Amino acid sequence: MPTITIDGRQYEVEEGQNLLASCLSQGLNLPYFCWHPAMGSVGACRQCAIIEYKDSDDEQGKLVMGCMTQVRDGGIYSLAAQPAQEFRGAVIEDLMTNHPHDCPVCEEGGECHLQDMTEMSGHTYRRFRGLKRTHRNQYLGPFINHEMNRCIACYRCVRFYRDYAGGDDLEALGRNNQVYFGRQCDGKLENGFSGNLVEVCPTGVFTDQTFSRHFVRKWDLQTAPSVCEHCGVGCNTAPGARMDFSSRDENLRRVVNLYNRDINGYFICDRGRFGYEYANSDLRIKNVLIARREQVIETTGRRKDKLHREIEPPAALELLASAIVDAQRGRRRLVGVGSPRTSLENNFALRQLVGPGNFFAGLGARDLELLHTLDRIQRDPRISIPTMPDIEDADAILVLDEEIGRTAPRVALAVRQAARNQQRDHARELKIPLWQDASVRQLRGENTPIFVLGSSASTSLEDIAREQRLASPAAIASFAGRLAELITAANGPTTGDEAGSGRTPLPEDLEKLLRGVADTLLSARRPLVISGCGSGEPDILAAAGKLATALADKQGSPCATYLACPEANSLGLAQFFEPGEGTLEQLLEDLRERDSVDPPVTLLVLENDLYRRLPTAAVEALFDRAAEVVLFDSLLQPCSRRADLVFPAAATPESQGTLVNSAGMLQRHYMVYEGSGYIQESWRWLVDAVNDPACREAGIDTSPALLRQWQHCHEVTAAIAAALPCFRNLTEAGPDENFRIEGMKLARQSHRVSGRTANRAHLHVAEQAPLTDPDSPFTFTMEGVQYAGASPLQANIWSPGWNSNQAIHKFQQGVGGPRRGREPIPRLQREPAPMPAWLAREKLVQEPGQMYLAPTWQLFGSGELSNYSEAIAGLTDAPCAQLSAADAGALGVAPGARLQLRLPGGEITLPASVSDHIAPGVIAVPVGLREAPDLAALLPAAAEIARIENPEPVEPGESV
Amino acid sequence: MSSTIAADTIEVMEQQDTGPRSAGRSLNAEEKRDIDREFSHYEDRGSVALEALRVVQKHRGWISDDTLYAIADYLGVSPTQLESIATCYQLIFRQPVGEEVILLCKSSSCWIMGCEKLQRHLEQQLGIRPGQTTPDGLFTLLETPCLGDCDKAPVMLVGEEMHRHLSADKLDEFIQEKKKHHADQSAD
Repeated sequence: MPTITIDGRQYEVEEGQNLLASCLSQGLNLPYFCWHPAMGSVGACRQCAIIEYKDSDDEQGKLVMGCMTQVRDGGIYSLAAQPAQEFRGAVIEDLMTNHPHDCPVCEEGGECHLQDMTEMSGHTYRRFRGLKRTHRNQYLGPFINHEMNRCIACYRCVRFYRDYAGGDDLEALGRNNQVYFGRQCDGKLENGFSGNLVEVCPTGVFTDQTFSRHFVRKWDLQTAPSVCEHCGVGCNTAPGARMDFSSRDENLRRVVNLYNRDINGYFICDRGRFGYEYANSDLRIKNVLIARREQVIETTGRRKDKLHREIEPPAALELLASAIVDAQRGRRRLVGVGSPRTSLENNFALRQLVGPGNFFAGLGARDLELLHTLDRIQRDPRISIPTMPDIEDADAILVLDEEIGRTAPRVALAVRQAARNQQRDHARELKIPLWQDASVRQLRGENTPIFVLGSSASTSLEDIAREQRLASPAAIASFAGRLAELITAANGPTTGDEAGSGRTPLPEDLEKLLRGVADTLLSARRPLVISGCGSGEPDILAAAGKLATALADKQGSPCATYLACPEANSLGLAQFFEPGEGTLEQLLEDLRERDSVDPPVTLLVLENDLYRRLPTAAVEALFDRAAEVVLFDSLLQPCSRRADLVFPAAATPESQGTLVNSAGMLQRHYMVYEGSGYIQESWRWLVDAVNDPACREAGIDTSPALLRQWQHCHEVTAAIAAALPCFRNLTEAGPDENFRIEGMKLARQSHRVSGRTANRAHLHVAEQAPLTDPDSPFTFTMEGVQYAGASPLQANIWSPGWNSNQAIHKFQQGVGGPRRGREPIPRLQREPAPMPAWLAREKLVQEPGQMYLAPTWQLFGSGELSNYSEAIAGLTDAPCAQLSAADAGALGVAPGARLQLRLPGGEITLPASVSDHIAPGVIAVPVGLREAPDLAALLPAAAEIARIENPEPVEPGESV
Repeated sequence: MSSTIAADTIEVMEQQDTGPRSAGRSLNAEEKRDIDREFSHYEDRGSVALEALRVVQKHRGWISDDTLYAIADYLGVSPTQLESIATCYQLIFRQPVGEEVILLCKSSSCWIMGCEKLQRHLEQQLGIRPGQTTPDGLFTLLETPCLGDCDKAPVMLVGEEMHRHLSADKLDEFIQEKKKHHADQSAD
C-alpha cells in the first residue's frame, strides 16, 4: 500500500485511489460536492483543492484537485496550506453567490452538505451584494419538491439520475450561470429511483415531498435501523419518527437509505422510500376491535360483513384466552394463518400457539410452491447467491421472465451498473482509474451481455439489454432448459421430460438466440442468472435452476443466481413448511372435511390480506367455516370485515423482528418508535393472551406454554433458533437488549433533540419517565451512545462537521467499504441438497384460442402495504388487460374494448389495452392492485376470451 | 423557461408561424431528408441531435416545443435530452425570433471600439433590448461573445453576413435596407 504524507503525517492508503477518497477514508476533512463514492469523480466543483509537493524540497507545491489526482507512493500533500484553504474558500464563496439565504425555511437545513462544506471552508461572511439569479421550479410528481434557486450546479443529480439510474427525463438545461436541472416540462420524474435525488443533492434543490407534509429537522428525528418491508430484497433503511403535536402520537416522518454495502449500498427505490406512509394511514388500527352483534344492513355493506366497536384490551384478551383454554380441552380448534410480510418472530409465536399442524402459510398453493422451488434451488451447493457488489461485477447476465425493475428494483439498479463492465475492463487496460467517471463513460465498448426474456417487456432493462425477447413463459422455460442442455452437451443426453427441457418448440427468434447466449455464458467468468417468483410459473424457476447448475458444473464453481421473492419475509415463512404443506387450499379442504365432526374453529389471521392470496369465493368459504375469526394487523384491510376480533399490530418500523430476504440473509429490524394506542407486536398479543388469568387458572401445557416464557424479543428469537435448524444462527442477526457500550445502550435520539420537556407538558408539568425498551439495544431518548462510529447499529449518521448523510464515510472501512464493526450478515442454514430433476408441468395453454394470462407486478400499485401510502396510491394504474397488436388484430379487439375472460378460477372483465411490449399469445394483467386484489391469486392462468365488448363506433364529427 | 419577450410580441411571432415556415408536430419530408444526410457522419441517431436542431431551425426559424418533440421522436431520444442540447447552444432558438437575428459582438476589441454606444443606437432605432424582437417580427437583437474579427471591430453577424467596421450610420443603412427587403418580399 502506498504511503503518503499529508500535512506532515504519514498515512497508508489504498493503491490507485484518488486523493479525496484517500483523505476521507483517513478521517480527514476535505470539502467536496461533485464527487460521490458510488459515482466517482468528474472534477466539476473545484472544491477539493489540495497542495501537492514535488518532493520534500519543494516549498511552493502546486494546487491539484483531490478527486482528480491519483495517490502517489511517497507523495507529499497539504490540506492546511494557506493557498489551498484560500482557493477552497474562494470556490465556495463563488458557489454561494447565487445560493439563497433561506436555510431556516429550507428542509435540507441541519443535514445540508452545502452548509457543512461552507462551514468547513471557513466562508462565514457573505460579501456578495448583487442580485441572485432566480428560476421557476417544476412540478416533479408527488415524491420530490423542486427548488432550483438553491442549486450550486454540482451536476450530481443528473449524474445519478441519468448516468447511474438510467433515467432520461432529468437533464442539465441551459448554460453558464443559468444552468437548470429539470425536465423538459412539468411532470413526474419517471425513474423508480428518483427519491435518491433527495440524498444525492448536496443542498435543498430536491427534497422529499412526503416529508414536507410533516417536516422536522434531522436532529429531532428518532431513528433506529430497519429493513424495508416493501419487497424481498431487504434494503436497509433508517426511518425517522417524531411526536406529532396535534395528535400527540408518535408518527413516522420519513425513510432514508441506511448504507449496507452487501444489499443497498447508497440507494433505495421509490417504493421503499415513499411507501412508509401506510404507517400513518387513517386505516391504522390503534385499538382492539370486536364485532358488534347487529347485522349489517345489506345496502351499506356486503352480507356477512361485521361492524366493530372498540373494546378494552383485557376484555379482548380474555376472549382470546378462553378460546385457547377451550382448545386445550378439545372443545375448539385453533388454526393459525401466517404471513410473508411480517417477522419470523410473529409467525413463530402463532405457530407455537396453534401447533405446527394447525399453522398454515397464508399463501396459495402456487405461491408456496414457487417459494419452495426457489428454496430448493438455493440449497443446491452449485448455486451461490450474489450480494449487490457481486451482481455489479457480473460479466454476463440472463434474466428469465422476472421484471426485476418492479419486483426487486434495487437488483435492477445493480444490473445497470454491471452493464458497464466491458467499459470498465477497457478502462483498466488503458490504465484509467475507475473513479475517473467521465473518462470511463466516454470509452467506447459494448454493454456487458445482458439477455432479457419475458412475457412482457422489461422497461427497466430494455436500454441496457443486448437482446430482449418477448415469449410465452413456456417458451422461456424451454429456452432455459435447452440452454442448459447445450451447456452440458458433453455430459450425455438428458431425459426428455424435465422442466424446461424443450417440450415447447421454441419460436424462431429464440432458437436463433440459443447458441449465442450459450457461448456468452460459457465464456463469461462471472455469469449471473436472474429469475424469481414474479412470473408465477415454477417451471421458469426450475429451468433457471437447471441452467445455473449446468453452468456451475461446466465452470467448476457455483454459479451466481439471484432469485427474487415477492415479499419481505417470503423465504423465511417458507422455512416453516415442508414442500407441499401449509397452503391455504389445504386449510380450506381440511376445514371442509372436518366440518361436521370437529370442534368449532377459531381462525387466527396474522398480518395478511387473504383476498390477495386466494380467489374471493375461496376466502369467503374459509371465513364461513370458521366459527370465529381473529385478525392481527396494522391496517383495516379487507379481511377485517369478517373478523370477530381485531388486534392492532405494529408496523415494521414500530416493531423488532427478523426478516429473511431473497438472498436468505437474516436481518433484524428494530423498533423506531412506539406505535400509538394499543399497538404492539402480534407475538406480544399472543403472549398476553396466554398470560391472561383465564389461561393461568385453567393451566395450559403443550406448545402454547412456551409463550409464557417470552417477555423479550430475543427470547422469541432464541426459541426459533432452537426449534428450527435452518434458523440456528438467528441470534447472530443482531444484539439483544443486554447490549451495552461502556454501560450504555445506543440512543435513538440525537444529542440535539428538542422539545423533550414540552412533549407532554399539556398533561402534566412533570416530565414523564422515558419509555424503556425491553427488546433492543436502544434507548428511546438521547441518553446513550449516539456516535455512529461506536456501533454499526447506530442509524443516525452524523459526525462533527458532517450533518448530512455524507457523514457515512466516517464509518466505513475505506470509501465504499463495509460499515466499520459490521459482521457479515448471517444467512439461512439450510441443508445443502442437489436440486431434484423437476418434471415439467402440463402446459397451461392447451386449446387453440386460449390465451395465457400473465401477472405483471408494478413498482407502484402491487405492494400490499405501499398501496396504502398517499403518494404511491395516487400513481397506481387501473386494472387492465394488455395484449400485443397482433393478437388484438386477430381477435378483433378495438381500442377501448372490454374483455370478458374465462379462467379456471372464475370470470373477469377488464378493459383491453394494446401494447407492443407483450408477447404474442399472452395477455398481461397488472396484479396486486387494491381494486382487484384477487387477480394475483387467479394468475397465471389459461383463459378463454368469452366476449369482446368493442366500443360503439363513433360517427365522424360526433363528439365523444 | 422564462420569457423575456413581451406577450404581444410572441403573439405576432406565433401568427407568423402558421405561414410557410409552419411548425407542426411532425417533420416534413425535406427536413427529414436534411437530417438523414447527417446520419452518415455520426455513430448513432442520437448524436445527430445538434445538427438536426440546426437543420430544422433553418426551415422553421426557431424550435418550438412541438418541433422539439418531433425531432426527439425522429431521433429516438427523450425530449428532455434534446432540450438539454438545445438550451446549451445560444444559436438554437427556443423562442420565436425575428427574420433577421442580429448578433452584436460584445467582446473586448469591439468594446474598445465602442460597441456599447452602437448597441444603444440599435436599441433606440429598433425599440428593443437584447433578447427581444421587434413587434413587426423583423429584428431580434442578441449579444454574442467574440466573433473572431477583432481587427475589423466593431462587428455584428446577421444570418451568414458579417458586418464590419460598424458605425451608427452603417446600422441605420442596414435597418432600412432590411426593412425594404422584407416589404418587397411581402408585396410579392
